[in-house]
Amino acid sequence: MFRRLRTRIIFFFVALLALVQIAAFVFVNAANSTNARQKIEGELLVGERLFARLLEQNRERLSQTARVMAADYGLREAIATDDVNTVISALRNHGGRINANMMMLVSLDRNVVADTFALDTRPRQFEFPMLIEQAARQGSASSIELINGHAYQLVVVPVLAPLPISWIVLGFVVDDGLAAELRQLTGLQVSFLQSTAGPGSTGWRVLASTLGSEGSSLASALPALPAASEVHRIGEEAEEQQIRVITLDHFGDNILVAVLQRSVAQAIASFDNLRQTLIALGALSLFLSVAGSIAIAQGITRPISELSEAAQRMQAGDYSQPVDVTRGDEIGVLATSLNHMREGIAARESEILRLAYQDTLTDLPNRSRFNERLQRAIGNVKQQDGGLSVLMMDLDRFKYVNDTLGHNAGDHVLREVGKRLRELLRKDDMVARLGGDEFAILLEGVEPGNAATVAQKILASLEKPIDYLGQPLDVGTSIGIAHYPQHGADAGTVLRNADIAMYVAKRNKTGSAVYDPQYDTHQQEHLSLLSDIRRAVENNELRLYYQPKISLSSSAAAAVEALLRWIHPTRGVIPPAEFIPFAEQTGYIKVLTRWVLEESIRQCGKWHAGGLDMKVSVNISARDLMNRDLPDMIAQLLAKYRTPAAMICLEITESGFIEDPAYAHKVLDRLNALGLQLSIDDYGTGYSSLSYIAQLPVDELKIDRSFVMRMLEDKTTSMIVRSTIELGHSLGLKVVAEGVEDEDSYRMLQQLGCDHAQGYFMSRPLPARELEEWLRTSQWGQTKYEPNNTARISLLKPVKSS
Amino acid sequence: MNAMFLRIAAFCALGLFATTGAAAEFTATITDGTGQPLRGAIVYVSDANAASGNKAKAAKLDQVDKTFVPQVSVVQTGTPIEFPNSDNIRHQVYSFSPAKVFTLKLYSGRPAEPVVFDKPGVVVLGCNIHDTMIAWVLVVDTPWFGKADAQGHAVIKGIPAGTYELSAWHPGVMLPVSAGQIEIKPQETLSRAMKLAVTPVPGLTSP
Repeated sequence: MFRRLRTRIIFFFVALLALVQIAAFVFVNAANSTNARQKIEGELLVGERLFARLLEQNRERLSQTARVMAADYGLREAIATDDVNTVISALRNHGGRINANMMMLVSLDRNVVADTFALDTRPRQFEFPMLIEQAARQGSASSIELINGHAYQLVVVPVLAPLPISWIVLGFVVDDGLAAELRQLTGLQVSFLQSTAGPGSTGWRVLASTLGSEGSSLASALPALPAASEVHRIGEEAEEQQIRVITLDHFGDNILVAVLQRSVAQAIASFDNLRQTLIALGALSLFLSVAGSIAIAQGITRPISELSEAAQRMQAGDYSQPVDVTRGDEIGVLATSLNHMREGIAARESEILRLAYQDTLTDLPNRSRFNERLQRAIGNVKQQDGGLSVLMMDLDRFKYVNDTLGHNAGDHVLREVGKRLRELLRKDDMVARLGGDEFAILLEGVEPGNAATVAQKILASLEKPIDYLGQPLDVGTSIGIAHYPQHGADAGTVLRNADIAMYVAKRNKTGSAVYDPQYDTHQQEHLSLLSDIRRAVENNELRLYYQPKISLSSSAAAAVEALLRWIHPTRGVIPPAEFIPFAEQTGYIKVLTRWVLEESIRQCGKWHAGGLDMKVSVNISARDLMNRDLPDMIAQLLAKYRTPAAMICLEITESGFIEDPAYAHKVLDRLNALGLQLSIDDYGTGYSSLSYIAQLPVDELKIDRSFVMRMLEDKTTSMIVRSTIELGHSLGLKVVAEGVEDEDSYRMLQQLGCDHAQGYFMSRPLPARELEEWLRTSQWGQTKYEPNNTARISLLKPVKSS
Repeated sequence: MNAMFLRIAAFCALGLFATTGAAAEFTATITDGTGQPLRGAIVYVSDANAASGNKAKAAKLDQVDKTFVPQVSVVQTGTPIEFPNSDNIRHQVYSFSPAKVFTLKLYSGRPAEPVVFDKPGVVVLGCNIHDTMIAWVLVVDTPWFGKADAQGHAVIKGIPAGTYELSAWHPGVMLPVSAGQIEIKPQETLSRAMKLAVTPVPGLTSP
């Protein structure tokens, strides 16, 4: 109802004042009413005294007048004549002089001698002997009596000659004139009433009154036996009267009373002016208080409204306008607080925005900012044609740096990379750190070819080692490139495709790659495989296949390479290339490696126990080599399956050393110390030099299949194979050739002096049971096995899909 | 005035004794109801059968200091009474009493004619000018009457022997009261005590 503060303030003040005024008015009015009644009572009391006094005076006056009249010699003489007619005429004459209405002559023995009213009545006794007795004692007597239905002021005086010889009775009628006279003197309405009470009936008859026609209502309202000296109240409201009753005479059943009355309404009317003044004052002050309340309320609510508006501006994000502070009161303090709040919020919001869109480590924009910018840029392209390119990159050996040198080193690398990228690019290009070691670059308004150029520049820039506390850190990168609108209709797709291209580049070690829709299918499979890998170990879907290595000198199987196969319940056999890279990215490779190691060591131990000393080679990924627990784990497995360490060979690709040659060296030393054989896999695809390899405790070198498969057609390649074999031998290493698929290759390798050959020409990878069967039945069977001459085995060799 | 009554307790004197001469002398001692001497009370004896042989003597009723002097007097029927005015103001003496109604017009000094009181009865006199002036004249048909002095003694002298009716009067009793028969012997001096119950009479100051 009173939602607004102003309304409430106004209502409160006005209601309070109105209440006080109404109360005051009611009290004053009630006091007035009481005063009026008390005043009337007082007036009535005074009036009654005055009335009594007036009646007394009237009596006195009339008595004296009568006495004077009675002393008139002529009258006395006439009376002395004893002639009734003379007496009556004399009485009339002299009574008329003093305005008497009735005259009577009463003898000393109280017989009525003459009566101006009843001329021919018989002699009778005077009705009011008491009056005569009183007159005899006091010289005169008077009272109001009822005669012939009229009230008379009777006066009895003696006729002195000089002793009383008879009594003169004079009657003065009590009429409206007398009442009016009395009213003039008392200020009260005066009425004379006669009780007409008979047996069983009560009532009053008005004899004389100042009320005129209203006298009848008084007669009907007057109680039957009104107590004298009490104030009675008759009538209601405007008709209300206060009365006093004076009993004048009791004669038989007749009661003669005088009634003095005062109208309450008239008396109160004198207070009406006061009441009207009060009402006028009340209305005026009410009006003033309303006006004052409105002024005060506005004084309070207007600045509050202003503050409210300021707060709403802040809510809408507008922090630029300060609140006007010109007041020194509480509202001024509030406004000042609001200003401080506004500044605080503005500062914090900009900080939050900074944190939300900026990477705190490198001070580069973060993923959110990049996505936003990318979406806006795509919007611009849509409107103005043209194109943009997204470069997605991550650092090749960042995790290694982080794990081995600590996070400070990692942070330093990230900052340095960010700095180099920033320096490399135009001001308008955006470089963002998406998280971890992942960076993204947005190139707007460039040709697709230019994006590749930029990628090359980045690769070149990051070839320079990063200096950390005097130690050079070699951090490589892979860059995926996707163009808009060619490689996606929206920001999300473009980003994802750049990501896919990056993995392709990483896998193919090409440095950078532009997205190709072909990548997509693999990528999709990888994504679903990723979740399946978790299941694979638990559901026993993994298998180890073994491909024999044939000793070229004895043409007998000397060892096997254990190769991982995933027998997918719906997709059949999945080659390692399909899921190993993902396992490496997710860290799940640790579990796979452990499974492969345990299975191959178990199988090797089993064969060993069964009298078949078949060396087993196991492929170890570069990441496994960074696992410091690897040597301990292998030692435990060897012990568990009672497998001689010398029966197990670990095959490591060149890249495994390149990431951190020093650490790799240490791990290899420990593995070597266990008695394990070590092999360099895929030799020739990397950049490692033989001199470096010579320092490592390795026992074997595996020539990459790409050389072996081309050596028959290409003279240069055959030269490389030959020199590699010679160099390996010169370093005391056994040399194994992979990818031997025909007899010519086999013969050539024999001629070149290669130690072992492995390939489909001899056997594809086989399950353990089939391998045992193969050994028994094949021409390469175990019978020709030369135990001391076949120490080199490679295992878990990913079969390249290309 | 019925209530007014007269009680006369007439006691025989300790003894009636005759005096020398033909005429006898009668002395009455009159007291009021409380035993106080009733000054101004009138006592008279009358013989209904005997014709009054005595000629009435003239009497005088003076007016001094707006007072009749004497206020109470008794005369034989037919007595002319003079009303000399001793004051230096005028009076108008009147009477409405049935025994004698008269008016002396305003006068001073001695009026020309005395007023003859020719009927027995009580005559109340007043002055029309001065309401307080009042006098009573008892007119009786006998020459033998007396008026009580301050001691209540009223003396009647020269009463011939015979049987009389004894009466007493005072303004306080309005009409004369009979006290019974009285036997008068020659040369006898007779005394009698009489009691007269009277009402107070306003205006009666010096009876």
